[in-house]
Amino acid sequence: MALRDQLRVMVVDDMSTSRGLITQALDAFGIRAVASTSDGPSALKALESSPVHLVISDFNMPGMDGLQLLHALRTGARTKGVGFILITGKADKAIIEKGRQLGMNNFLKKPFDPSDLRACIEAVVGRL
Amino acid sequence: MSDPMDPMAEIRASFFIECEELLEALQDGLNQLEDGGEDTETINVVFRAVHSIKGGAGAFGLEALVRFAHRYETVLDEVRSNRLVPDHEALKLFFQAADHLSDLVRACRDDQPLPEETSAALLDELDKLLGDQTEEEVQPQDFTPLGVSLDLPGLSDLDDAADGSDPIPCWTIHFKPAFELYETGNEPQMLLRNLCALGEAEVSCDIGELPGLLDLKPETPHLAWTIRLTADVDEAEIRAVFEFVEGLCRLDITRDADPAAAPEAAAPAPMPDAAAEPGDPRPATPSPAPEAAPKAGSAGNSSKSVVRVDLERIERLVNLVGELVINQAMLSQSLESAGLSPHSDAMNGLEEFQRLTRDIQDSVMMIRAQPVKSLFQRMSRIVREASAAVGKEVRLITDGENTEVDKTVIERLADPLTHMIRNAVDHGLETAEARKASGKTEEGHVRLTAAHRSGRVVIEVADDGGGIDRQKVLETAVRKGLVPSDAVLSDTEIDNLLFLPGFSTAGKVSNLSGRGVGMDVVKTAIQQLGGRISIASERHRGTTFTISLPLTLAVLDGMVVDVAGETLVLPLNVVVETLSLSSEDVQMLRPGANVVRVRGGFVPIYDLGAMLGYRPVRTDFTGCIVLLISLDDGHRAALVIDGIQDQRQVVIKGLDDSFYRAPGIAAATILGDGQIALILDPADIIAGNGPIRVPDRSLKEKRADHG
Repeated sequence: MALRDQLRVMVVDDMSTSRGLITQALDAFGIRAVASTSDGPSALKALESSPVHLVISDFNMPGMDGLQLLHALRTGARTKGVGFILITGKADKAIIEKGRQLGMNNFLKKPFDPSDLRACIEAVVGRL
Repeated sequence: MSDPMDPMAEIRASFFIECEELLEALQDGLNQLEDGGEDTETINVVFRAVHSIKGGAGAFGLEALVRFAHRYETVLDEVRSNRLVPDHEALKLFFQAADHLSDLVRACRDDQPLPEETSAALLDELDKLLGDQTEEEVQPQDFTPLGVSLDLPGLSDLDDAADGSDPIPCWTIHFKPAFELYETGNEPQMLLRNLCALGEAEVSCDIGELPGLLDLKPETPHLAWTIRLTADVDEAEIRAVFEFVEGLCRLDITRDADPAAAPEAAAPAPMPDAAAEPGDPRPATPSPAPEAAPKAGSAGNSSKSVVRVDLERIERLVNLVGELVINQAMLSQSLESAGLSPHSDAMNGLEEFQRLTRDIQDSVMMIRAQPVKSLFQRMSRIVREASAAVGKEVRLITDGENTEVDKTVIERLADPLTHMIRNAVDHGLETAEARKASGKTEEGHVRLTAAHRSGRVVIEVADDGGGIDRQKVLETAVRKGLVPSDAVLSDTEIDNLLFLPGFSTAGKVSNLSGRGVGMDVVKTAIQQLGGRISIASERHRGTTFTISLPLTLAVLDGMVVDVAGETLVLPLNVVVETLSLSSEDVQMLRPGANVVRVRGGFVPIYDLGAMLGYRPVRTDFTGCIVLLISLDDGHRAALVIDGIQDQRQVVIKGLDDSFYRAPGIAAATILGDGQIALILDPADIIAGNGPIRVPDRSLKEKRADHG
């Protein structure tokens, strides 16, 4: 079985358009086990009962931003080791540096092509 | 994602819908900033709205939109990080940029040419707010991705990652409240909640001691809890949670050696536990997480779950329900004419059916209802543009934005309301100097409000300007030959002259409201919606236009009446009472003008049969039935009819454009027996004030239809 058949991914973005685009791309890569939520707290809650291998999260979200979510993931016993890809509209130096410190696995700048997303994911989890 | 053919087209369509929501949030946020609500969350919302639009636009390659949104976002980011404090002018620019952004979004959506010049001008303005900016971005190649080790297919090992250098301690807490704990008013739930707040907790309730129902003693506590807590705390911190119930419960706290080890929890844990059975491979199918966020504790008001439905589907439903209502009425009539007793099962059942039909109808109408907020936001833009065009400082105050009205009403109200708002800014409000001279604030106010009042929607446009100069209005009307020069008119009558076709008081035609479109067009548009408009004005204090509209355009509570062999429907809400005339009730003012005495007052008589051209004017009204009607503006009239058939709810069927628009006729309906009846607009009949001309041709055709 290929990695893509088993990989479980969670997409977190407050904009349903973005969630749709990412989910659509993941689907095209053959990754079927994809869940999505519109904010960090509900992502954390969903991960409690159904853990994933990889979280793909937007940076700019109301309430809890992507890096706050990353921090919460890294301090949770159950979610400590999950892969984390940050999607951001602006690859601001400070944001990326903070992400690095928090243990961000990779980042992707918007807008992106599906192939960019694929490369970004493969850099973290290996060949799909 | 139901269309497998082109999922991208669907996402694109949903992007534009989402943009409308974001633009609304943007407007709201800017309004709050203008009102001085400069908290960080507001500016965040504003920033995020623009940012999200940019993000989505980028994904669809909408370059012009991205370019504009990007610059706008950059300026807002400056505000967000306190490097720029927006003054009045900057806020004005933000509003303009928001308006322009929505223009761009719509142009992109409809594949229309983009207003590039406006973009360029606004981009320049936005640039002026920015100092020298060098954006320092990290390139992807400067970041070394961090791989994760995935132990597929199970996810149980994710927990083992916690075996790292600095493990978070894991505690097992047994908590059994004693009788005294409950007696002193303590609540275990609160304690558990406080405990859970310390870290990640799994709570299981031990019901092993719970006796059977018959042996249950309500005063004796039987429950105990086992809590597995993963938190970076020491024992004292855990004990602190139970500080106030010390001695009132049994409390055992133990620290686990290895957090990953499966707990030998006594009771089966009701919570799903991903780590409990390491040997069990997780099923390959994901348990889908909720798409939206209706979960407890997620972001505030946006968590209301919403379904987007194609309007066409709703239209179909509305039409079908309309048919259902007609069908039900027909069934009811045929049962009645079959001679069934009103107490028979069939008639009782029908009554129930009738009630259900009505409930369904109401519910379906609710689907079409929308808050007027979007309309009001459009008006705030009109105010901004209009005030800038005439060089006045104007503030729009809105109230009742959440009032819900039929979607079609909202759409068709946009044009007349735009015109009224422009009028208020242009003609209603005085210049800043004039306002100052009369002791008012230099900034003029236009108030736009919506409210539900007795089954109708009332929308008001009020300005605090100079009020209507009645002298001038009358002079203009006389000069234009609209009223005789010796006419003596009441204030209300003079105000209503504004609604006459071809009336314009503005000395010079301004580039704003003087476009050859007068208040008469506004009035016609409102009337076509089944609404009415009235004016109240006070010199030096301002003018208020009041629009009253039906909640829905689809159904009407009507009174079915006979006039000269025709069946007509009148809106029930205008009918006050019915009278049978005796000879002394009626007084003739002059030939063709009669009044009826109603409790000391006089009400003009309108002979419907003659006004609609069905028969010659009556000379004797003795024995006639009249409907006394009262309109929103206080006018009363007595309509002469031949008989009353029924009161019932009728489904409004609009008259196609191919029909001649006969004054006094609002629409048509299909009655229970399949007959077509015209629905009258009483206000229009009275406004017409005289015999209404109905072309003979259409009347003959209508008769021929009936056979």
